[in-house]
Amino acid sequence: MRAGDGPGGLAPTEALATDGDGAFLRLEGVRKSFADLVVLDGVDLAIRRGEVVCVLGPSGSGKSTLLRCVNLLSPPDSGRIVLEGEEITGRGEAGIDFVRQRVGMVFQQFNLFPLKTALENVTLAPRAVLGRDEGECRRRGEELLDRVGMSDKVAEYPDRLSGGQQQRVAIARALAMDPHVMLFDEVTSALDPELVKEVLDVMRELADEGMTMLVVTHEIGFAREAADRVIFMDGGVIVEEGPPAQVIDAPRHERTKAFLGLVLEH
Amino acid sequence: MDQLVDQFFDFGIMFDPDNFDKVMAGFWFTIKLAIIAGILSLLWGLVLAVLRQTPGKLGRIIRWPVIAYIDVFRGIPALLVILIVSTALGALSQPDLETGAGALLPRWIGVPDWFGQPAPFWYGVIAITITYGAYMAEVYRAGIEAVPSGQMEAARSLGMSHRQAMRQVIVPQAVRKVIPPLLNDFIALMKDTTLVSFIGLIEVVQAGYDIASETFSSSALTLGALLFVLVTIPLARLVDWMIARQQARYERGIA
Repeated sequence: MRAGDGPGGLAPTEALATDGDGAFLRLEGVRKSFADLVVLDGVDLAIRRGEVVCVLGPSGSGKSTLLRCVNLLSPPDSGRIVLEGEEITGRGEAGIDFVRQRVGMVFQQFNLFPLKTALENVTLAPRAVLGRDEGECRRRGEELLDRVGMSDKVAEYPDRLSGGQQQRVAIARALAMDPHVMLFDEVTSALDPELVKEVLDVMRELADEGMTMLVVTHEIGFAREAADRVIFMDGGVIVEEGPPAQVIDAPRHERTKAFLGLVLEH
Repeated sequence: MDQLVDQFFDFGIMFDPDNFDKVMAGFWFTIKLAIIAGILSLLWGLVLAVLRQTPGKLGRIIRWPVIAYIDVFRGIPALLVILIVSTALGALSQPDLETGAGALLPRWIGVPDWFGQPAPFWYGVIAITITYGAYMAEVYRAGIEAVPSGQMEAARSLGMSHRQAMRQVIVPQAVRKVIPPLLNDFIALMKDTTLVSFIGLIEVVQAGYDIASETFSSSALTLGALLFVLVTIPLARLVDWMIARQQARYERGIA
């Protein structure tokens, strides 16, 4: 959030660079292998600003690796990734710094820092990376924790929070770096069923506010209602993509049908 | 039976004021040496362990020498390191009488008498820090590797550098995990400080041995052993208590 935004606003106000086709985040021919195992076998993807893209697919299809390539936690072996008109691949530390300060990530296992309170989890990176002063970070951190409904838990340590609460703190922690894009890696998969909704609600709100989101999920309901576009991946490639009504309710590809049949039948 | 008691527990010898003072003075050296070398080893070991985690291909320039250091000094007896340090430092601070060349090291380094402690004391501190730094680096390493990889990923995904992530996130968690094994190493370190008797420091073992040679009774050595046990057994119990507490936390799912 920039100065001048309303307290609840998350969408960046300034015009952000896009490349020629209006894409905000673009992947071209992204490939990634681990030893002999090809995990991503040439992925092309262009995401517009403010778009919410959900990625579905069986385990091992390369969905999570795709997210980890985008923020270079797991740099691609080949192919290009362009964010806001700047190529981030092949630029070493400069590319890493560029993408990590613009792209936030939330993990399946929350990965909160256990020795820090909820608020300290949120303020650590703005202080360490952006060098912001403590008072400002505190104020902003409390604001973000309030947004995810955790204002009464700012001083709690992660081991005193439920999974859903931890995940909401993790979302606030990522938002504290003012990301332009958010990556969600199966963020509800480790949660007890009754805690899934509180996390999805926060994500829906973010989507409504115009955050650009790339969401790997097994929550078909969330994808159907929150996504602008759904991507189905299998075997390291994008098999099918389109609006949720098309991909989820009228899939064309056999592999998509088979997967959705298994997921939706119960 | 009496003969055995006299051999090991002759209170007349143990508590003879001269003998007792001599053993206590020796033990005091042992304690000072153990505390100073212990603190330095803890710091040096942490530095080594963190350097060992330097990431990337270029990081090999740092990683490999560190690994070599740790492997070498874990494989050499502490006594040998003590003897090498004392002979080398002593000799390198002497001018070469044959060639007339000056000394390689200034005398205040080669024959240190910092804080009023004799040179063998500091040779011992240096040698034990070199050796136990290597041991403790391995303990820290186990702690660092026991921190889930998601912690580093979360920190890096927030834009923190490897160094920031290590300092703010990984090392604080790692150190907590390894306090009990570090204390175990400290007990071993404390016992190994007695090896400085080889380079002329009258610490507790040497003091007891001198008295035993005069009296033909082992009682002064027994006294030294009792003094050790007085310190090491509480430490060992502390370690057990900490491990049990960690285990309980782990079982409750919060460690």
